[in-house]
Amino acid sequence: MSTVLVVGLGEVGVRTARQLIDTPGVDRVLVAARHLEHAREVAAALHDGAEPLQLGRDDPLPPDLGAIASAVPSDVDPALARRAVAAGIPYASCADRDASLGALLALDADARARGTRVVAGCGLAPGLADVLARHAVGALDSVDELHVARWGIAGPESASEARRAQREDAQEWRDGALVHDKHRHAQLIWYPDPVGARECELVATGVGLLVAANPGAGRVTARLGVPPTRRFTPPGRRDPGAAWGAVRVEAWGWRGTARTSVVYGVIERTAIAAGTVLGVTAAWLSDALPEIAAAPEPGAYGLGAVVDPVAFLAELARRGVKAAAFEGVAVA
Amino acid sequence: MKAFQRGLLVAAIAAAVSVVVRVRSKGPVPPTTGGGWRELQGPDFR
Repeated sequence: MSTVLVVGLGEVGVRTARQLIDTPGVDRVLVAARHLEHAREVAAALHDGAEPLQLGRDDPLPPDLGAIASAVPSDVDPALARRAVAAGIPYASCADRDASLGALLALDADARARGTRVVAGCGLAPGLADVLARHAVGALDSVDELHVARWGIAGPESASEARRAQREDAQEWRDGALVHDKHRHAQLIWYPDPVGARECELVATGVGLLVAANPGAGRVTARLGVPPTRRFTPPGRRDPGAAWGAVRVEAWGWRGTARTSVVYGVIERTAIAAGTVLGVTAAWLSDALPEIAAAPEPGAYGLGAVVDPVAFLAELARRGVKAAAFEGVAVA
Repeated sequence: MKAFQRGLLVAAIAAAVSVVVRVRSKGPVPPTTGGGWRELQGPDFR
């Protein structure tokens, strides 16, 4: 039995706490915010299944934590991770800014020295998309292209991060090197209904994690689509897919002598999917879900590199986040 | 004056046509793939 601390009580953090409360192996969930009143409100909304905690930047971390699930904004996430590593506490984060992902992976040596683990990219994409990518690659004898796309945002902070990612230079992995792509040319990506077809731009977010988890892929891209913010929608023009989140993973490679593709997709409310992924990862790190995978060696990793995709996806499906496979003819 | 009125009329017709074209062009996008989505079930997780 273990205690898990959830830090950052926005749209994703609250869903993460809900998932942890519903995990039998987790006996205590702490929800932390900068202001105690906010933490109390969230704990009350969770029907007092969690204990509120005030946690400022300089406040000490509580003792005897099994893991920390971080849903704080990307710019403050690495500092919290450094504190967790210094205290020897396993850390899972759903930060999706590329610089923050790099800062978390840079804690690898410190995590090894302290005998703890940091898992970066535990949201929708990066996160669930990385696990689906591993699952897709596992269905092929060899992979040569991997394309990941995400549609949707979890909340205001997520929206600003997504727009930031679209403004920053795009990157793709091509023949052993990260290539800056200034022509981010939006492409129409097909997600399961009701999201359907959406224009998604090339971004750098999470490409490094995908390459590390799937070293055989010669080309790796990540795309991101952000729903437009409209104050007024004309009658009859409401977009049913705008409120949803979705990921699509397309792997091209060889099965025997035939070149083929494997396409997986997920639709769910973005905050629910990200919160479930973060909650399951934190529960696993605290030894509450040992069936997901054996605990990795101490260090810092991306989610796709450390979990068993089949067991992880099965656990998500039990919690209502279900993946789908595209069956038909995909166009390269 | 007559030329000005004709100009206004042409501008109004152009605006009306552009609205119609814009509204009509927002229909469903034709699929570039054939097939459908199937939820992953037990055998997919073995």
